[in-house]
Formats: sequence, C-alpha cells, structure tokens
Amino acid sequence: MNIVEIDHVTKTFGTHRAVDDLSLSVPEGSIYGFIGPNGSGKSTTLRMIMRIYYPDVGSGNILVLGKNVRGAANDLIGYLPEERGLYKKMKVRDALRFYAEIQGMRDYKSSIIDWLERMELSAWADKKIETLSKGMAQKIQFISAVIAKPKLVILDEPFSGLDPVNMDVLRAAVLNLRREGSTIIFSTHDMSVAEKMCDYIFMIFKGKKVLDGTLDVIKDEYGQDTILAALPDYKGSLSDLGGVEKVTDLGHMQELRITPNTNSQAILTQLMKRGRITHFELSRPSLHDIFVRIAGPEAQLSQQPSALEEVHHA
Amino acid sequence: MRKTFVVAMREYQAAVRTKTFIITLVLMPVMMGGGVGMQILLHDKVDTKDKHIAVVDLTGQLYESLSSAATERNEKGIFVEEEGVKKQVQPRYLVEQTTPTSDDRDELLLDLSEQVRNEEIFGFVIIEPDAIVNSDPNPMRQAMSYYSNSPTYDEVLRWIDDPINEAIQIRRMKTANLDAEVVTKATQKHRMANLGLVEKDEAGIITKAQQTNELANIIVPLGMMMLMFMTIMIGAQPLVHSVLEEKMQRISEVLLGSVPPFQLMMGKLLGMVGVSMTIGTIYLAGSAVAIYYAGYGEMFPSHIVVWFLVFQALAVLMFGSLFIAVGSAVSDLKEAQNVMTPMTLVMVAPMFVWINIVKEPTSTFAVVLSLIPPVTPMLMTIRQAVPPGVPNWQPLLGVVLMLITTFICVFIAGRIFRIGILMQGKAPSFREAMSWIAHG
Repeated sequence: MNIVEIDHVTKTFGTHRAVDDLSLSVPEGSIYGFIGPNGSGKSTTLRMIMRIYYPDVGSGNILVLGKNVRGAANDLIGYLPEERGLYKKMKVRDALRFYAEIQGMRDYKSSIIDWLERMELSAWADKKIETLSKGMAQKIQFISAVIAKPKLVILDEPFSGLDPVNMDVLRAAVLNLRREGSTIIFSTHDMSVAEKMCDYIFMIFKGKKVLDGTLDVIKDEYGQDTILAALPDYKGSLSDLGGVEKVTDLGHMQELRITPNTNSQAILTQLMKRGRITHFELSRPSLHDIFVRIAGPEAQLSQQPSALEEVHHA
Repeated sequence: MRKTFVVAMREYQAAVRTKTFIITLVLMPVMMGGGVGMQILLHDKVDTKDKHIAVVDLTGQLYESLSSAATERNEKGIFVEEEGVKKQVQPRYLVEQTTPTSDDRDELLLDLSEQVRNEEIFGFVIIEPDAIVNSDPNPMRQAMSYYSNSPTYDEVLRWIDDPINEAIQIRRMKTANLDAEVVTKATQKHRMANLGLVEKDEAGIITKAQQTNELANIIVPLGMMMLMFMTIMIGAQPLVHSVLEEKMQRISEVLLGSVPPFQLMMGKLLGMVGVSMTIGTIYLAGSAVAIYYAGYGEMFPSHIVVWFLVFQALAVLMFGSLFIAVGSAVSDLKEAQNVMTPMTLVMVAPMFVWINIVKEPTSTFAVVLSLIPPVTPMLMTIRQAVPPGVPNWQPLLGVVLMLITTFICVFIAGRIFRIGILMQGKAPSFREAMSWIAHG
C-alpha cells in the first residue's frame, strides 16, 4: 500500500511554478529521500503532503494515508518543518509535553524520558529551550514531531547543521522509527546520507521530477561510467586522456567520467604512463555526481543555447 | 475540544508564569494609584512665596477692608496643624494700595503690567469708582478687574472676590439704612443635602436615604471603567505579538500539523481570557478588601461584579480575535501597529465620553451609546456603577449584542487566521483580506 499518492499535482505561487505536474508514490514502511537544489520545490511538496499548502485548483490531488481531506491537523503524521520553531521560553520537558498533548497523546511521561535519554538530552529536561544549542534544539524538535508515534513522518532537512555525533544519533532514531513501522519522508542536501539511508530517492529540479526510484535503478541508468584513480606523484592534468569526458579533482583522488563505449582498461594503460597508481576503481556514478550532472553548472551550460534562443526570439 | 484546552493552558501559563506578568500585576495599581499618591505626596509642596498684589481702589473706600481681610487670612487661613506643628501651605497675599499717578488709564495699566513682568508684584486689581454705587444697570458689568501674568493660577482671583464684595455690601446697606446684621441673617442660605432614594426592605421597613457622595459616585465608576480597559488590554493586546511570533518562527506550522486552525485560535483566545479574568479578579477582590478596610465597604459596587466579568470575557474574545487576525495577516510588528491604531482608538473611545455618561447615566445618549458593542463593556460598566444602576434588561441586551458581535469577529478572525498564519512575506491588501473572509 502507498502511504502517499501524488497524482499530477501543480502548485504555483503568483507566476512562479514551484511544483510542476508531479506524480509520486511513497510505499508504506519505506524511507523516501527528497533531493534537489535550493528552491527547486522540495519543501513545497512536503508542505502539500502535510496539507499546509493545497495543490492548484484544477490540478491533480494528493492522497495521504489513503484519504484526501482538508486541513493539516492529523495525529498520524509527524512534521519537522525546515525552519525550526519552538517556544523559546518553555522548558524542554514542558514543550515536549505540550506537543505530545496536542497530538492527542495521553500517556506521554515515559515516552518523554525515553526520548530525552535516547537523544542524550536528559540533563537538559528542565532547561529553557533558549539555552539549548542549535543542534540540541533540533533534536528536541525532532522528538516533538515523532513522540506520538505517527504512521508517516515528514522531515524537512532533519540533518542540516548537525555535528557527526548528533547526526548518528538522529540517523539511528530515524531508522528505529522505520523499524517500528513508520514511513519516513525526508529532504536533504547531504547526498551521502540519502545514499546510505533511503530506500527510494526522489529528485526535483525546477519543480519537475527528474529522478525517482531505488538507488540501484537510478545508478543503473547512468551505467559504470566512472573511474576513481589516485596518482600521488603526478601533478599534471588528466583531462587530455582519450575517452575521458570530465575530470573532477577530489583532492587525493581524481574522478574520471568516461565517454560511452570506452574501455576502462585503455584508460588504465594511459594512466600507468603518467605515474604510480595507488588506487584504481571502476564504479557507478555517486548520487552526488548524478545530482551535479542534472543540476550543476554543466547542465546549466547545456541549457544555455536554448536560453539564448529565447532572447533572440524576444 | 481537548486540543483547544491544551493550547489555552499553554497560552495561559506562558503569560502568567513570566516576570512581566507579576510586574504588571504589581505595577498597574501603583501607576494608577500613583497619580493620586503623588498628589497627596506633593500636596504640601506648594509655592509659599509671598504674593504682592497692587490694588487701585478708585472708590477710595474699599482698600481698608480688603487689607484687613488679607491680614486675617495671612495670620490664620494659610496654615495646617500637623501633630501640633503649624505649617504654612499657602502663600501670603500682601495687598498694597497704589495711587494712580496720572489720569491716563492706559498708562496706569501699562505701568502696573510692567511691574508684574519685572516680578515686583504678582498681579493687580482695579476697582472702578462706581463699584459701590453701581450706576450701570447691566448685571454683567464687571466693576472690578484682576490682572496677572499667571492665568492658570486662580487662587488669588477666587479669594479676592469675597472680601471686596462683602465690603461693598456693607456700604450699600449702610446707604440704604439697613442693619447689616439683620440682612445677613435674613439672606443666609442653606446647603442642599444630596441624597439617594429610599426604598422598602424585605421586612417592610423604609430604609434611610443614603447621603450621596459626589466624589465617590464619580471615582468608583471611573475606576471600574479603567479596570475594564486595563484587563481588556492585558488580555487582548499580547495576542498580536504571540501570533506574529509563532508565525515568523514557524511554530504555527508545527501546531497546525496537529491542531485545526480554528481550535488553535480559540485555544489562544481562551487562554488570554483566562489571563485577563485572573487579573480582573485579583484587582476586584483587592479593591473590595481595600475599600472595606478603609471603612467605605458600601461603596464597592459588588452588584455589578458578575456583569463586569461577563463583559470583560466577551471584550477580550472580541478584541482578541481581531488582534489575532492582525497578527496572523502581517509579517512584522510595524505593519501590525499600523492596523492596530484604529482598533486601539475604538478601545479608548469611551474615555472621551465617560464624564457625560457618569453625569447622566440614564440619558438616551448614554443608553444608546452603551449598547454599541465595542464600547459596551466600558460604558455599561460605568452606568451600572453609578447609583442606582440600570435596569437589568440593559446589560442583558448589551451581552446579547456583544455575543453577536463577538461571534462575527471570531468568525472573521478564524478565516483570516487560517490563511494568514501560513503566509510569509507581504501583508495582504484590504481586498485580499476581504476575499479570505468571504471565501475562507
């Protein structure tokens, strides 16, 4: 069963089309990652799933938990918005109690203690929220979104601004929620997080869906066209190698994208002539690379002629 | 319903548990009572510098009387006894006769005026030559004039009238061969007692009429109106801030994920009604106790307390819902203030007419005005607080009209709130806001 069913939905703000004819299905029990550049429509899509925004009149509709109702209020959905909002003057425990209560929970005492412990925040239970660091407040807000054990959890950029320790804590909590039966949708700018955690990846660019599926399916579309090579003694450029389309300098390693039908062994032979090779790896492109291929300057460049044409027409 | 209650409780606690609340609670009566306190405190701090007054007595007969009256006042009338210590609380008035040096009236006035400007004298009095005879039949004629450079200081003016007139009267009686003592007795006036009405109590005994205390009959209604105003302000105004803050910090986005907008708004409103009622009750009880201990127990308008609280609750709901609508529609405090100014004007409007209402609480003007919903809470309270109060149908009708208006305000606010709270950026135009109200 699909928990969320988006069917040909469009959302415009004034003249700006934030989401354009989008269709998407989120299966129950999955972790669905939303990626895309800033301003491409991720948050708008999440807010439409929350029913904070409604799709344009006349465009398609969105089924959440099998229903299409008006109004955002739903105790089965937990929501962490992109901009964090907590009552600054409230104590941590009181704030969590308040959020548990408005989500219809009656017996929340042990849940609060439990969550504070799991998030390593027990010592802060009686402190005011304004005294917390940004990362701590973010964890509190996360708890407030999921304390009532919602069936669907929507997290807008849950990992942004967290240090690695807190990131691990939060990641474990998200995975645990899934284990307990929740479906999780989250947006992120961190491709490695998306790659490691998500069952499905959805990428939106300029309001349009550009990727949707499991990581394997997405990567297979691009094939094994990437070579990671390390030549510690060679300081020159590798962009003149035959059959190499693009070189990305990663620092200690060079990422080479080879043109279709190029034999990777031929590249290896060429590389051996340049210097000592300590690493040579044939791989599928990373999600990061795919993201950049779609939304990076290279992609913008290939779109430029059409933009110029438009100018001429005008 | 439960969620509304949860939101209301949070709102209430967030308001009541702050230091600001406690400070307001203590400070408000201090500030309001402070005015009176300051007056009492500064009562003795009057200027007791001698005031020289030049008198040009063109009748040539009145100065002596005035001078001796001034001497008597300076010796007896300007002191108060405090714990056996005599203390001067008013300045001495030193009258000095001035003989005009020339016949030119304008020269004389200019000369004396210059003396006042040079602070040689405080003011001067001219008594016309025919003041005693009074040859002019026009009763409005002013045969005596007082000139000074302190038009607001009217103490001299008020004092100097009587001794001169007395002297004039004595002289007129003498001319008419009347015995001054007999005339004084014959023309002595009585003071009219100002009483309320008598009524029959349960035992059938006719009660004694109460002496009306004019001051109390004005101060008590005024106090009740001010208390109403304060409690409405305390209850309604913070809602602009709190809604605006929740909107800007995206707290409302989270809340709306769990609470329907109307319930959220009602929760906030009811929370603040609670805050307002708390303050109202504390002050009412406090002033009741204070008045009772001061020995004026019967002056506390206990019969209108319930009405007061009902009107107060409705007023907070009515103004509060409008303030919520403002807070949710705008995106910063400056915008909010622009919209709030006319609303605040409506709230303070009763302050401009209260004195008319107190003086004639049963006039058609007062009755009609007090039934106009936005001003009903304050004006009806005033009218109820002036003895003997108003017939019960009037506050009842007031409550009904308030209920209807409050319902409309809450409905409109609900529509604006639902859309506004999630809008970021520019505030809606008047037309946009209207379409939100119309279409939801």
